[in-house]
Amino acid sequence: MHELSICTALVELVSAELQRQAPEAKLLKAVVAVGDLRQVIPETLTFAYEALVAGTRLAGSTLEIRHVPITARCGSCAWEGAVGENYFICPKCASHNLDLLTGRELHLESLEVEENEPK
Amino acid sequence: MSRSEIKVYRHLMGENDLWAEHTRELLLKRRLLMLNLIGSPGAGKTALLEAMVGRLAGKFRFAVLEGDVETTYDAERLVRIGIQASQLLTSGGCHLQARMVHQALLDLPLDALEVVVVENVGNLVCPAEFDLGEMGKVAVLSVTEGEDKPAKYPMLFREAKAVVLTKIDLIPYLPFKMERCMEFIRQVNGQVPVFPLSALKGEGVAPWIEWVAAQREGLGKGSA
Repeated sequence: MHELSICTALVELVSAELQRQAPEAKLLKAVVAVGDLRQVIPETLTFAYEALVAGTRLAGSTLEIRHVPITARCGSCAWEGAVGENYFICPKCASHNLDLLTGRELHLESLEVEENEPK
Repeated sequence: MSRSEIKVYRHLMGENDLWAEHTRELLLKRRLLMLNLIGSPGAGKTALLEAMVGRLAGKFRFAVLEGDVETTYDAERLVRIGIQASQLLTSGGCHLQARMVHQALLDLPLDALEVVVVENVGNLVCPAEFDLGEMGKVAVLSVTEGEDKPAKYPMLFREAKAVVLTKIDLIPYLPFKMERCMEFIRQVNGQVPVFPLSALKGEGVAPWIEWVAAQREGLGKGSA
Protein backbone atom coordinates (compact mmCIF):
# COMPACT_ATOMS: atom_id res chain seq x y z
CA MET A 1 0.00 0.00 0.00
CA HIS A 2 2.85 2.45 -0.55
CA GLU A 3 0.74 3.58 -3.52
CA LEU A 4 -1.32 5.68 -1.12
CA SER A 5 1.64 7.68 0.15
CA ILE A 6 3.00 8.04 -3.40
CA CYS A 7 -0.44 9.20 -4.51
CA THR A 8 -0.78 11.70 -1.66
CA ALA A 9 2.42 13.34 -2.88
CA LEU A 10 1.14 13.16 -6.45
CA VAL A 11 -2.15 14.91 -5.68
CA GLU A 12 -0.31 17.65 -3.78
CA LEU A 13 2.02 18.16 -6.74
CA VAL A 14 -0.81 18.23 -9.26
CA SER A 15 -2.75 20.80 -7.19
CA ALA A 16 0.31 23.00 -6.80
CA GLU A 17 1.25 22.82 -10.50
CA LEU A 18 -2.31 23.53 -11.59
CA GLN A 19 -2.50 26.50 -9.26
CA ARG A 20 0.81 27.82 -10.56
CA GLN A 21 0.38 27.25 -14.29
CA ALA A 22 -3.35 27.39 -14.95
CA PRO A 23 -5.25 28.60 -11.89
CA GLU A 24 -8.52 29.04 -13.81
CA ALA A 25 -8.45 25.75 -15.69
CA LYS A 26 -10.24 22.49 -15.04
CA LEU A 27 -8.00 19.43 -14.87
CA LEU A 28 -8.95 16.59 -17.21
CA LYS A 29 -6.01 14.28 -16.85
CA ALA A 30 -2.69 13.94 -15.04
CA VAL A 31 0.00 11.81 -16.67
CA VAL A 32 2.62 10.04 -14.54
CA ALA A 33 5.60 8.02 -15.70
CA VAL A 34 6.24 4.84 -13.69
CA GLY A 35 9.36 2.79 -14.34
CA ASP A 36 8.91 -0.97 -14.46
CA LEU A 37 11.44 -1.48 -11.68
CA ARG A 38 9.08 0.38 -9.36
CA GLN A 39 6.76 -2.00 -7.63
CA VAL A 40 3.72 0.17 -8.08
CA ILE A 41 0.40 -1.51 -8.84
CA PRO A 42 -1.35 0.67 -11.46
CA GLU A 43 -4.90 -0.19 -10.30
CA THR A 44 -4.02 0.68 -6.71
CA LEU A 45 -2.49 3.97 -7.80
CA THR A 46 -5.56 4.99 -9.85
CA PHE A 47 -7.87 3.85 -7.04
CA ALA A 48 -5.94 5.98 -4.55
CA TYR A 49 -6.02 8.91 -6.97
CA GLU A 50 -9.78 8.79 -7.38
CA ALA A 51 -10.28 8.55 -3.63
CA LEU A 52 -7.93 11.46 -2.92
CA VAL A 53 -9.31 13.90 -5.51
CA ALA A 54 -12.97 13.29 -4.65
CA GLY A 55 -14.50 16.52 -3.37
CA THR A 56 -11.51 18.66 -4.40
CA ARG A 57 -11.10 20.89 -7.45
CA LEU A 58 -9.35 17.95 -9.15
CA ALA A 59 -12.47 15.77 -8.87
CA GLY A 60 -13.46 14.18 -12.16
CA SER A 61 -9.93 14.16 -13.55
CA THR A 62 -8.27 10.88 -14.47
CA LEU A 63 -4.82 9.52 -13.89
CA GLU A 64 -2.90 8.11 -16.83
CA ILE A 65 0.08 5.90 -16.09
CA ARG A 66 2.86 5.69 -18.67
CA HIS A 67 4.99 2.62 -18.14
CA VAL A 68 8.70 3.01 -18.74
CA PRO A 69 10.58 -0.21 -19.53
CA ILE A 70 13.81 -1.17 -17.78
CA THR A 71 16.78 -0.42 -20.02
CA ALA A 72 20.49 -0.45 -19.29
CA ARG A 73 23.92 0.25 -20.71
CA CYS A 74 26.80 -2.18 -20.34
CA GLY A 75 29.86 -0.64 -18.68
CA SER A 76 32.12 -3.22 -20.31
CA CYS A 77 31.03 -3.40 -23.98
CA ALA A 78 28.68 -0.38 -24.27
CA TRP A 79 25.67 -2.52 -25.27
CA GLU A 80 22.38 -0.73 -24.70
CA GLY A 81 18.96 -2.26 -24.56
CA ALA A 82 15.99 -3.57 -22.66
CA VAL A 83 16.47 -5.68 -19.54
CA GLY A 84 13.95 -8.50 -19.50
CA GLU A 85 12.88 -10.82 -16.69
CA ASN A 86 14.96 -8.89 -14.15
CA TYR A 87 18.08 -10.33 -15.71
CA PHE A 88 20.76 -7.69 -15.23
CA ILE A 89 23.50 -9.39 -17.20
CA CYS A 90 24.75 -8.07 -20.54
CA PRO A 91 23.36 -10.27 -23.38
CA LYS A 92 26.38 -9.40 -25.53
CA CYS A 93 29.38 -9.89 -23.23
CA ALA A 94 27.83 -11.49 -20.08
CA SER A 95 29.16 -8.68 -17.87
CA HIS A 96 27.32 -7.83 -14.63
CA ASN A 97 28.41 -4.24 -14.99
CA LEU A 98 25.10 -2.78 -16.21
CA ASP A 99 24.08 0.80 -15.51
CA LEU A 100 20.39 1.46 -15.43
CA LEU A 101 19.21 3.96 -18.05
CA THR A 102 15.46 3.83 -17.42
CA GLY A 103 13.10 1.94 -15.16
CA ARG A 104 13.27 3.91 -11.89
CA GLU A 105 10.97 6.74 -13.05
CA LEU A 106 8.27 7.99 -10.74
CA HIS A 107 7.27 11.45 -11.82
CA LEU A 108 4.46 13.69 -12.90
CA GLU A 109 4.88 14.39 -16.62
CA SER A 110 1.98 16.53 -17.76
CA LEU A 111 -1.46 17.90 -17.04
CA GLU A 112 -4.25 18.05 -19.57
CA VAL A 113 -6.54 20.97 -18.83
CA GLU A 114 -9.61 22.65 -20.21
CA GLU A 115 -9.64 26.43 -20.21
CA ASN A 116 -12.29 28.98 -20.96
CA GLU A 117 -11.49 31.00 -24.09
CA PRO A 118 -10.48 34.54 -23.20
CA LYS A 119 -13.32 36.90 -24.02
CA MET B 1 -13.37 26.06 -24.15
CA SER B 2 -9.95 24.86 -25.23
CA ARG B 3 -7.89 21.92 -24.21
CA SER B 4 -4.21 22.19 -23.60
CA GLU B 5 -1.38 20.18 -22.19
CA ILE B 6 0.93 21.54 -19.52
CA LYS B 7 4.32 19.88 -19.37
CA VAL B 8 5.56 19.22 -15.86
CA TYR B 9 8.56 17.27 -14.71
CA ARG B 10 8.35 16.67 -11.01
CA HIS B 11 9.45 13.67 -9.01
CA LEU B 12 6.70 12.13 -6.87
CA MET B 13 9.11 11.39 -4.05
CA GLY B 14 10.07 15.07 -3.90
CA GLU B 15 9.12 15.71 -0.28
CA ASN B 16 10.45 12.37 0.96
CA ASP B 17 13.72 12.89 -0.91
CA LEU B 18 14.13 16.35 0.58
CA TRP B 19 13.97 14.90 4.11
CA ALA B 20 16.31 12.12 3.04
CA GLU B 21 18.77 14.74 1.85
CA HIS B 22 18.59 16.61 5.18
CA THR B 23 19.33 13.33 6.92
CA ARG B 24 22.29 12.57 4.67
CA GLU B 25 23.79 15.99 5.39
CA LEU B 26 23.29 15.57 9.12
CA LEU B 27 24.92 12.13 9.07
CA LEU B 28 27.88 13.13 6.93
CA LYS B 29 28.62 16.16 9.08
CA ARG B 30 28.87 13.87 12.09
CA ARG B 31 30.53 11.00 10.23
CA LEU B 32 27.67 8.74 11.24
CA LEU B 33 26.91 5.68 9.16
CA MET B 34 23.24 4.87 8.66
CA LEU B 35 22.13 1.56 7.20
CA ASN B 36 18.57 0.61 6.26
CA LEU B 37 17.80 -3.08 6.88
CA ILE B 38 15.03 -4.39 4.63
CA GLY B 39 13.62 -7.91 4.60
CA SER B 40 10.42 -9.95 4.99
CA PRO B 41 8.69 -10.35 8.36
CA GLY B 42 10.63 -13.07 10.14
CA ALA B 43 13.75 -12.86 7.97
CA GLY B 44 15.83 -12.33 11.10
CA LYS B 45 16.47 -8.58 11.09
CA THR B 46 16.08 -8.15 14.86
CA ALA B 47 18.05 -11.32 15.57
CA LEU B 48 20.86 -9.97 13.38
CA LEU B 49 21.01 -6.81 15.51
CA GLU B 50 21.00 -8.91 18.70
CA ALA B 51 23.87 -10.99 17.37
CA MET B 52 25.95 -7.91 16.68
CA VAL B 53 26.03 -6.68 20.29
CA GLY B 54 28.27 -9.23 21.96
CA ARG B 55 30.63 -9.38 18.98
CA LEU B 56 31.42 -5.74 18.49
CA ALA B 57 34.46 -5.61 20.77
CA GLY B 58 34.84 -1.84 20.61
CA LYS B 59 34.49 -1.57 16.82
CA PHE B 60 31.63 0.95 16.85
CA ARG B 61 28.76 2.15 19.00
CA PHE B 62 25.38 1.80 17.38
CA ALA B 63 21.73 2.63 17.89
CA VAL B 64 18.70 1.16 16.22
CA LEU B 65 15.60 2.85 14.84
CA GLU B 66 12.98 0.11 14.87
CA GLY B 67 10.22 0.41 12.28
CA ASP B 68 7.07 -1.59 12.89
CA VAL B 69 3.42 -1.40 11.98
CA GLU B 70 2.27 -2.05 15.54
CA THR B 71 3.76 -2.89 18.99
CA THR B 72 7.05 -1.95 20.61
CA TYR B 73 8.16 -5.58 21.06
CA ASP B 74 11.24 -5.31 18.87
CA ALA B 75 12.60 -2.16 20.48
CA GLU B 76 12.02 -3.66 23.93
CA ARG B 77 13.83 -6.81 22.83
CA LEU B 78 16.87 -4.74 21.88
CA VAL B 79 16.81 -2.40 24.88
CA ARG B 80 16.76 -5.44 27.17
CA ILE B 81 20.19 -6.50 25.91
CA GLY B 82 21.62 -3.00 26.10
CA ILE B 83 21.09 -1.67 22.59
CA GLN B 84 19.99 1.94 22.29
CA ALA B 85 16.72 1.56 20.35
CA SER B 86 13.76 3.78 19.49
CA GLN B 87 10.52 2.43 18.13
CA LEU B 88 8.92 4.06 15.11
CA LEU B 89 5.32 2.98 14.59
CA THR B 90 3.75 3.40 11.17
CA SER B 91 0.24 2.44 12.42
CA GLY B 92 -0.68 0.48 9.34
CA GLY B 93 1.87 2.00 6.96
CA CYS B 94 3.98 -0.58 5.14
CA HIS B 95 7.25 1.35 5.15
CA LEU B 96 9.19 4.09 6.91
CA GLN B 97 9.38 7.52 5.36
CA ALA B 98 12.31 9.90 5.49
CA ARG B 99 10.64 12.54 7.63
CA MET B 100 9.86 10.08 10.45
CA VAL B 101 13.41 8.79 10.46
CA HIS B 102 14.88 12.28 10.44
CA GLN B 103 12.89 13.30 13.49
CA ALA B 104 13.75 10.09 15.33
CA LEU B 105 17.45 10.60 14.57
CA LEU B 106 17.39 14.00 16.26
CA ASP B 107 16.23 12.31 19.46
CA LEU B 108 19.26 10.01 19.56
CA PRO B 109 22.48 10.89 21.41
CA LEU B 110 24.28 11.31 18.08
CA ASP B 111 27.60 12.36 19.59
CA ALA B 112 27.86 9.00 21.35
CA LEU B 113 27.35 6.95 18.17
CA GLU B 114 29.19 5.82 15.06
CA VAL B 115 26.47 3.75 13.40
CA VAL B 116 22.68 3.96 13.22
CA VAL B 117 20.79 0.97 11.89
CA VAL B 118 17.24 1.45 10.72
CA GLU B 119 15.25 -1.76 10.87
CA ASN B 120 12.53 -1.15 8.32
CA VAL B 121 9.02 -2.62 8.43
CA GLY B 122 9.08 -6.29 7.44
CA ASN B 123 8.30 -6.09 3.74
CA LEU B 124 10.35 -6.65 0.58
CA VAL B 125 8.36 -4.29 -1.60
CA CYS B 126 7.48 -0.87 -0.21
CA PRO B 127 10.55 0.00 1.90
CA ALA B 128 12.76 -0.43 -1.17
CA GLU B 129 11.04 2.52 -2.84
CA PHE B 130 11.74 5.09 -0.12
CA ASP B 131 15.08 6.80 0.38
CA LEU B 132 15.60 7.47 4.09
CA GLY B 133 18.91 9.26 3.65
CA GLU B 134 20.85 6.10 4.48
CA MET B 135 24.30 5.37 3.07
CA GLY B 136 23.10 1.95 2.05
CA LYS B 137 20.13 -0.36 1.97
CA VAL B 138 20.90 -3.84 3.24
CA ALA B 139 18.71 -6.69 1.98
CA VAL B 140 18.13 -9.33 4.65
CA LEU B 141 17.07 -12.66 3.17
CA SER B 142 16.65 -15.87 5.14
CA VAL B 143 17.39 -19.25 3.59
CA THR B 144 13.86 -20.42 4.47
CA GLU B 145 12.39 -17.93 1.99
CA GLY B 146 13.83 -19.65 -1.05
CA GLU B 147 16.59 -18.85 -3.52
CA ASP B 148 14.62 -16.87 -6.07
CA LYS B 149 13.58 -13.83 -3.99
CA PRO B 150 16.24 -11.52 -5.48
CA ALA B 151 14.72 -12.00 -8.94
CA LYS B 152 11.19 -11.59 -7.60
CA TYR B 153 11.95 -8.38 -5.72
CA PRO B 154 14.58 -6.81 -7.97
CA MET B 155 14.17 -3.22 -6.77
CA LEU B 156 15.53 -4.03 -3.31
CA PHE B 157 18.31 -6.35 -4.40
CA ARG B 158 19.30 -4.01 -7.22
CA GLU B 159 19.61 -1.07 -4.80
CA ALA B 160 21.18 -2.98 -1.92
CA LYS B 161 24.77 -2.13 -0.87
CA ALA B 162 24.97 -5.54 0.84
CA VAL B 163 22.94 -8.72 1.16
CA VAL B 164 22.80 -10.60 4.47
CA LEU B 165 21.72 -14.20 4.05
CA THR B 166 20.40 -15.34 7.43
CA LYS B 167 19.62 -18.67 9.16
CA ILE B 168 22.32 -20.63 7.32
CA ASP B 169 22.37 -23.10 10.24
CA LEU B 170 19.05 -24.38 8.83
CA ILE B 171 20.44 -25.21 5.39
CA PRO B 172 20.92 -28.95 6.19
CA TYR B 173 17.15 -29.24 6.70
CA LEU B 174 16.07 -27.35 3.60
CA PRO B 175 16.10 -27.88 -0.17
CA PHE B 176 17.92 -24.50 -0.32
CA LYS B 177 20.87 -24.40 -2.72
CA MET B 178 23.43 -21.70 -1.92
CA GLU B 179 24.85 -21.75 -5.44
CA ARG B 180 21.43 -21.10 -6.98
CA CYS B 181 20.67 -18.28 -4.55
CA MET B 182 24.00 -16.62 -5.38
CA GLU B 183 23.15 -16.87 -9.10
CA PHE B 184 19.86 -15.07 -8.50
CA ILE B 185 21.59 -12.36 -6.49
CA ARG B 186 24.30 -11.94 -9.17
CA GLN B 187 21.65 -11.79 -11.90
CA VAL B 188 20.09 -8.72 -10.29
CA ASN B 189 23.20 -7.14 -8.77
CA GLY B 190 26.53 -8.46 -9.93
CA GLN B 191 28.72 -6.49 -7.55
CA VAL B 192 26.94 -6.66 -4.20
CA PRO B 193 28.77 -8.30 -1.25
CA VAL B 194 26.85 -11.21 0.32
CA PHE B 195 27.18 -12.22 3.99
CA PRO B 196 25.82 -15.71 4.74
CA LEU B 197 25.46 -16.03 8.51
CA SER B 198 23.62 -17.54 11.44
CA ALA B 199 22.63 -14.90 13.99
CA LEU B 200 21.65 -17.69 16.38
CA LYS B 201 24.93 -19.66 16.22
CA GLY B 202 27.20 -16.73 15.43
CA GLU B 203 28.72 -18.26 12.32
CA GLY B 204 29.50 -15.60 9.69
CA VAL B 205 28.59 -12.64 11.92
CA ALA B 206 32.20 -11.38 12.22
CA PRO B 207 32.70 -10.60 8.47
CA TRP B 208 29.40 -8.70 8.48
CA ILE B 209 30.53 -6.59 11.45
CA GLU B 210 33.87 -5.99 9.69
CA TRP B 211 31.99 -4.74 6.63
CA VAL B 212 29.85 -2.35 8.70
CA ALA B 213 32.96 -1.05 10.48
CA ALA B 214 34.71 -0.56 7.13
CA GLN B 215 31.73 1.41 5.78
CA ARG B 216 31.91 3.66 8.82
CA GLU B 217 35.67 4.10 8.38
CA GLY B 218 35.23 4.94 4.69
CA LEU B 219 32.68 7.70 5.38
CA GLY B 220 33.72 11.03 3.99
CA LYS B 221 36.76 9.45 2.33
CA GLY B 222 35.38 9.26 -1.20
CA SER B 223 33.24 6.14 -1.19
CA ALA B 224 30.59 5.38 1.37
